[in-house]
Amino acid sequence: MRYRNARRLAGLSLALGILATACSATASPTGEEATPVSGGTLTVALATQPGCMDSQVSQQGVTNTINRNVLDSLVSQDGSGGYHPWLAASWDISPDLTRYTFHLRHDVTFTDGTAFDAEAVKTNFARIVAPATRSQFAAGLLGPYAGTDVVDRYTVAVRFTKPFAPFLAAAATPNLGFYSPKALAERGGELCGGGPAAVGTGPFTFTSFGKGQGAVLTRNPAYRWAPATAAHPGPAYLDEIDFRFLPEESVRVGTLTSGQVDVALAVPPSNIATLRDTPSVRILQRDVPGSGYNLYLNTAIAPLDDQRVRNAVQRATDLDADVRTVFFGQYNRAWSPLSPSTVGYDKAAEHSWPFDPGMADHLLDSAGWTGRDGAGYRTRNGVRLTIDWPALPADYTTNGNATLAQAVQADLKQVGIELTRTPYDIGTYLRKIHAGQLAAADAGWSATDPDLLRLFFNSADDPAHGGQNVTRFDDPELDAWTSAAAATLDPARRSDLYRKVQARVLELGLVVPLYTPSTVVGTGSRVQGIGFDAAAQPAFFDAWVAG
Amino acid sequence: MNAVARAAKAVAGGIGVVWGAATLAFFALHLVPGDTADILMGTQALTSPQVHRRITAELGLDEPLWSQYLRFLGHLMHGDLGRSYQLRQPVWTLLGQNAWPTVSLGLAALVLALVVGTASAIATAGRRPAWRAAASAWELTAVSTPSFWLGILLLTVFSFRLHWFPVAGRNGITALVLPAGTLGLPLAGTIAQVVRESLETTLHQPFMTTARARGLGGMALRLRHALRHGASSLLTLTGLLFGSIVGGAVLVENVFGRPGLGSLTVSAVTNKDMPVVTGLVLVSATAFVLVSGVVALLQPRVDPRLRQRVSA
Repeated sequence: MRYRNARRLAGLSLALGILATACSATASPTGEEATPVSGGTLTVALATQPGCMDSQVSQQGVTNTINRNVLDSLVSQDGSGGYHPWLAASWDISPDLTRYTFHLRHDVTFTDGTAFDAEAVKTNFARIVAPATRSQFAAGLLGPYAGTDVVDRYTVAVRFTKPFAPFLAAAATPNLGFYSPKALAERGGELCGGGPAAVGTGPFTFTSFGKGQGAVLTRNPAYRWAPATAAHPGPAYLDEIDFRFLPEESVRVGTLTSGQVDVALAVPPSNIATLRDTPSVRILQRDVPGSGYNLYLNTAIAPLDDQRVRNAVQRATDLDADVRTVFFGQYNRAWSPLSPSTVGYDKAAEHSWPFDPGMADHLLDSAGWTGRDGAGYRTRNGVRLTIDWPALPADYTTNGNATLAQAVQADLKQVGIELTRTPYDIGTYLRKIHAGQLAAADAGWSATDPDLLRLFFNSADDPAHGGQNVTRFDDPELDAWTSAAAATLDPARRSDLYRKVQARVLELGLVVPLYTPSTVVGTGSRVQGIGFDAAAQPAFFDAWVAG
Repeated sequence: MNAVARAAKAVAGGIGVVWGAATLAFFALHLVPGDTADILMGTQALTSPQVHRRITAELGLDEPLWSQYLRFLGHLMHGDLGRSYQLRQPVWTLLGQNAWPTVSLGLAALVLALVVGTASAIATAGRRPAWRAAASAWELTAVSTPSFWLGILLLTVFSFRLHWFPVAGRNGITALVLPAGTLGLPLAGTIAQVVRESLETTLHQPFMTTARARGLGGMALRLRHALRHGASSLLTLTGLLFGSIVGGAVLVENVFGRPGLGSLTVSAVTNKDMPVVTGLVLVSATAFVLVSGVVALLQPRVDPRLRQRVSA
């Protein structure tokens, strides 16, 4: 499969991009200053304190939000699953999808003055997979990585032991972004601490980072390799981005409405409606692609070993009402284990398993849960119909998710299912999930490729081996489909396979999709041009501040 | 000789307290269930069991507990607190980066608490019941208000509505006002209650009647005689409140998004980042021992009765 025409396509879309910006700039109906201006500082309130600031190690979204401005990737992904040149001007993929050859741009330099070349790609990927790096996420993104070959100074080939279709999606993430090999050699050990030790090719340099103090990024004036997905070429507009950490929701919103920050991330659902009516604030919202937020059912633990009970759980849950109430009407309930903005999302899943307590009752009756005990729960042979959905500690979940679980608990009680929520500390929780001992587990996962379904439903991906399949369901068809879809780049074939996977896991009752989280960003009125990347992370390259 | 022996005893006692705190922190964290490598890798790890084993071995977590403890003590003797598991920076660097914001917050809160608390006590001790009831009411409210709520209240009024003070950031002293108020006001309530109690006891002493007979009255009487008498209990209380400041800083720093040891503590405990937690415990224990030592040294200067007992 050849993608030689990528460069030409990119040129075209770059032109279109500029045209689009020009159009939107002149047609701005709000009377704001419409032509982007350079200069100024953007202050951004973040909700989470990053732990480790090294994107090749950390799995945190907030690390990516900051580092995306510092680290560039080989390719750039648009919102509809298309790939565009970035540090790689073009690429070829071997027919068996085990070898990706990238033809790099010749004019890219790191902000320490060293050149970005094939050797830099090799050094970075080698660092990610090196056990000493202890990569928690990026190493997983490299999948069945075999090695990187430097073909010539600006040509690099990445090899895999198996066909690996999701690689371009992975290559577009900041987690597979590039640090200067010189900086890695000199200060690689300090990358978790962020700051000047982190040297990339990106539109901003990492000026300072202090735990709790925030992060300051400064414009890289030499930047001229923005991807085609950006709205403008050349350096960024902003002189500086000043990230501050304000974990308390009400404080974050208050600083935004009082004009103390320009942008607040993770606006809580309870505030969104009010802020939409606030003239000095604009709300930007984008659904997160990936798995959404779902409840996975363990088919190896009674009573969930019975498909009828699993289907009853799906049908007895009044998600429309629950999600609307808990999230103030701001998030959509989910129908599929993929969120709607993900490539391969199967629209046919919508309304395929509507709330139907009558059907749930019927399913439970036929499964033999016909008795009732004093508390109104169903019994079979004197045993109560109880399902345990262990609760993650508060630090690892959100208030909204915990409240939603209570709503589900109330729904299930209506049909006679007792849903318990055993609280575990995080250590016990992880040990039990790795051992396959949790009857039900909730998870949300952001990703831009539907290969995620393999991680959750292929029997080879059990948690003991670094996968996420907590359903413990061994299904040859799901295994075959998810593996086949990882071995082809044919969009029609992939979406057909993923459609079948989505339909089958819903039918088997392996998952109860709950809701689609969205990235909600509040901005002050002087802020323009904030966008979202393919993973629905806020992007600041095109942002500018008026006056 | 006696003084040297006493000093040596005090230092040994202090070292004992610090060692005890470090040991407690070490074993408490090991008693917390859960595998450190698991927690370190988080809930969304894509890593294999091999990586897990490697992390465990690298951190020395596969060794028996007693050998980990001895190694920990050995490093401690050399002043080596190790590197953070999560942030992979030396613990000393992290403590250094975060110490000053917390120290300045704590000092500001303490000064505020002492001034407001003492002023409230002096103004109302032995006054008409209505005055005292009003003072008691605000003190009780201040003591019993959760500090995160007080913080949000102060922010809403003085920052979001009136725009007098910023929430946080590099705005120097103005950014310190609201956090210091949040941390200091509950302490001021405690101080006022204790100091008034002590003032009122003193005001009823016979020597007060003598002083009044000499023609002293009003503020002079309260400040020169009664407060001096109450200063001893105030000093002791201040030493104890130091602990509340360290604990309260955790919540206040979170609400105001301030850097500091408090926010470092929260993330270290959540992530079972043992070197950081033990480092923080050591630093706070040492500070507490030092503050107690200073209070003990100052007591005889404030209270002559203690001086006599020491020299006897």
